[in-house]
Amino acid sequence: MYESALSLKYGVMGLLAEESLHGYEVKNRFEAMLGGTWEVNIGQIYTTLQRLERDGLVRPAGPRGDRGKLLYELSPEGQKALKQWLAQPDSGPQQLHEDIYVKLLLATRIANGDLDGILARQKRTYLQRLRDLNRLEERARRDGRIDLARLVRGALLHTEADLKWIDELSSERFGAEGARTE
Amino acid sequence: MSELVRLTDVTKLYQGGITGALNGISISVEKGEFAAIMGPSGSGKSTMLNLVAGLDRPSSGTVTVGGTELGKLGEAGLARFRRDHIGFVFQFFYLLPNLTALENVLIPAQLKGNVVPGRARELLERLGIKEVADRYPARLSGQQQRVAIARALINNPTLLLADEPTGALDTHSGEQVMELLGRLHRDGQTILLVTHDAKLATRHAARVISVMDGKVVDDARLESPDRTASEVIRVRGEEGSR
Repeated sequence: MYESALSLKYGVMGLLAEESLHGYEVKNRFEAMLGGTWEVNIGQIYTTLQRLERDGLVRPAGPRGDRGKLLYELSPEGQKALKQWLAQPDSGPQQLHEDIYVKLLLATRIANGDLDGILARQKRTYLQRLRDLNRLEERARRDGRIDLARLVRGALLHTEADLKWIDELSSERFGAEGARTE
Repeated sequence: MSELVRLTDVTKLYQGGITGALNGISISVEKGEFAAIMGPSGSGKSTMLNLVAGLDRPSSGTVTVGGTELGKLGEAGLARFRRDHIGFVFQFFYLLPNLTALENVLIPAQLKGNVVPGRARELLERLGIKEVADRYPARLSGQQQRVAIARALINNPTLLLADEPTGALDTHSGEQVMELLGRLHRDGQTILLVTHDAKLATRHAARVISVMDGKVVDDARLESPDRTASEVIRVRGEEGSR
């Protein structure tokens, strides 16, 4: 999980760029920013902070306070590294994590793969997901959680594209059946 | 809920091609429902809407709306049915350019011999555009479709039909129009919507009817539970992150 460790690392740095924070504040703000779509445990946050401190990217912003809590701030090196990371576009191969991509390719090859059934069920799932995302976005906007609303918008557009792919495969399928019967 | 629309084994053939043809469709819509009809261009979804509106007649099969079998009505009867029971919203608004917004809204009421400027103004206000009442369509920019919706509602239709109502609008106006349809539905209006936009459709309609090559290939009734963000989306969800 190199990639996610990386965005957690820069996520922590980005929050510290706003203001100095304790470890548990970093955790709370990180989770709030992502609206609960990525839960991290406090151990991960402390490990990340320790590594960042070791690499000179963050540093303690004062002596240990109550119950040994340490306030962290971003170092000038950290600011530079964060700026570089933000400026760099996300590149590399497109990530397709979900099983459906492999499932559909296999179903088109295997006899009795029940492609029509798979397509129909997947389509319903995507429609329901669109509805769930729409409701989540509405709630996020109503509650003033703009970060979450933006994230949900991205997910909505992704799901719309997935749905279009299913529709293309279905109409390919329909076209083929039409050709057979005519 | 009671049944408002029923199509039974409806076929529609067009000379010279199969675009928009229907091939044995049976479906019903309950009173108070907001259903979206989706499908690729030429799949027959607009044909379905036109048949329900009584704007067109099927080649075979029956269309029943509010207990009236449309095939049994003559042309005059069909025109009366449309005027009294159907509100239709088109993609390109079709407002008359030489009439003001208010006068456009009043056209169906005039046809009914029941001119109600008060109600027209009320509708414009309810749709958030009372200030445009005396403007001509050319000066309405993004609000033309809302005026067209007011026109569709002036005679209190049993059924509101909308054919790609957001298709000619920018994203923002499109969202506003759909928001409006959603509100009308919450107030009890039965709505049948043809659209390409699954994002917008699923925001407001709890039923999605998929049409392909003149057939209904799916009829999905969507649920509306309040799901938490993490039940719907995971950003880089690492295993063992808890």
